[in-house]
Amino acid sequence: MLKRPLALIAALLLILLLSWSLRPRAASDVSRTALIMGTLVEIKGVGLDDKDMEGAISDAFDAMRREEARFSTRIETSQISAINRAITAIEVDPEVLAVLQLGQRISRQSEGAFHPGLGRLLKLWNFEAVSPRVPALSEVNALLPALIGEPVAISGSAVKRLNPDLQLDLGGIAKGYAVDRALAVLRAAGIESASVNAGGDIGLLGGHAERPWKIGIQHPRKTGQLLATLELRDRAVVTSGDYERFFLQDGMRYHHVFDPRTGFPARACQSVSVVTATVAEADALATAAFVLGPIKGLALLERLPDVEGLIVSATGEVEVTSGLKDQIRWR
Amino acid sequence: MALGSLLARMTRTDRWLVLLLMLAAFASLWFVLGRSVGRSLLVYAGDTLAFTAPLDQDRQIELHGPLGDTLIEVVAGKVRVISSPCSRKICIGMGAIQRSGDLLACVPNRVVIRIEGEGGEYDLLSR
Repeated sequence: MLKRPLALIAALLLILLLSWSLRPRAASDVSRTALIMGTLVEIKGVGLDDKDMEGAISDAFDAMRREEARFSTRIETSQISAINRAITAIEVDPEVLAVLQLGQRISRQSEGAFHPGLGRLLKLWNFEAVSPRVPALSEVNALLPALIGEPVAISGSAVKRLNPDLQLDLGGIAKGYAVDRALAVLRAAGIESASVNAGGDIGLLGGHAERPWKIGIQHPRKTGQLLATLELRDRAVVTSGDYERFFLQDGMRYHHVFDPRTGFPARACQSVSVVTATVAEADALATAAFVLGPIKGLALLERLPDVEGLIVSATGEVEVTSGLKDQIRWR
Repeated sequence: MALGSLLARMTRTDRWLVLLLMLAAFASLWFVLGRSVGRSLLVYAGDTLAFTAPLDQDRQIELHGPLGDTLIEVVAGKVRVISSPCSRKICIGMGAIQRSGDLLACVPNRVVIRIEGEGGEYDLLSR
C-alpha cells in the first residue's frame, strides 16, 4: 500500500498534462488570398510546414494567373481574344483545347443550355456597368442565330469560330479550370490537404487533415444563412445562383445566368449546386442545370456518371440527386 | 473513512502539494473547456495583410486602395463595408460577415476581409 497519496498526485498531474495537450490552438491552416480573374481566390493548405506551404500556394496562384492570361476576354493577348478576332483557324495551347472540348461536350449533353459563345450577349447586358439595364428585345434577338449549333471547329490544335458573329466567353468554366490547375500544383508539391475557393467555385484536395471538408451551401433567398452542408474529400463544388450578381428593373430580378435560347436570364431556378470531380465540369454543369430547370436539370445530373447536385427551383422546392441524399445535412 | 485515512497519512507538504495541483488542474480544465479560440479579423490590401484584430472589439478601419478609401466597420462581432469608392458597391451590398471562414471583398479597390478562427459551421462556403 502507498503510504502517501501518490495516486492522487499522479491523477492531478495527468489532468494537467491532458489539459496542456488539449489546449486551444489556432487552426494550423495556411490561408492566402489573391485577386485573380476578377474574383477573390482563397487557397488553404493543411499539413506541411508553413514555409513549404507558402511556396506551394504562391506557385498555385501563379498557375491560375497563367490561365487568366490564356482565357480572359479582357486581356487582348489572351488566346480566347485571339480566337474571337481571327477569321481563320489559329493554333492554341492544349489547356485552351481541353476547356473548349469540355465546353462543347457539356453544351451537347445539355442540348445547348450551356454555351461557351455568349460573349456578345454578356457585353450587351453589361453587368459590369454602374447601372445595368435590360437591353431592347430586338438587340437580344439579333444575337441568337449565332448561338445555334457548335460554336467552334477543332482540328488538331487549331480552333476556328464557326460563325463570325459569335464571341467566345469561357468565364466561369475557365475559372473552374484555373482552380483545377491550382489543385494540380498543390498536389505535385506533396500537399495532401488543401482547398481552392475562387468566388465560390471550390476545389478540394483530400480532406481537412483527418476529417472531411465541411462545405456550406448558401441559401438562395436568406442572406447569410445556409441551405445545407456537405462533408467532402477530393471533390469540386460549384453553385450557380440568381442572387449574386443581379439588378432589379420594373420589379423584376435580372441576373447573370443566361439562357442561350432566349438571351434572357434563366427563370426556372434560384440556385444549383453541383458536386463532381473537377471544378471546370462542375461549373459548366451548374450553369447548364440552372438553365434547364429543376426537372431537366436534375435528369442531366442524374444521367452523368460521378456527378451529384442539388437544385432549388424558382418556387423554392429543393431537388437532390439520388447519390447526394444521404450525404446532405439540411440547415 | 477513506478520506480521513488518506488525510491522516498526508504530511503538511503533501496537503499543500495536492491543493496546488488541484488549483492548477481546475484552472487548466477551465482553460480547455470554458474558452474557445477568439475569432480574428484579417484585412488585406491586395495580396498583403494590412490589418488584423480580434473580432470582439468594435472599431472602424479605413483602408486605402487604388480607387480610394474603403471604410470597414466591426460591430458586435459582425464585419461590413460601410463606404467604398468602387462603382457598383457590391461589397456594401454583400452585408455583414461573422462566421469563421467568411470572406468579404471589394475586388475593384483590392480590399479583402476574412474571418479566421475555430468553431465555424463550415470550412468553405459555396455561393
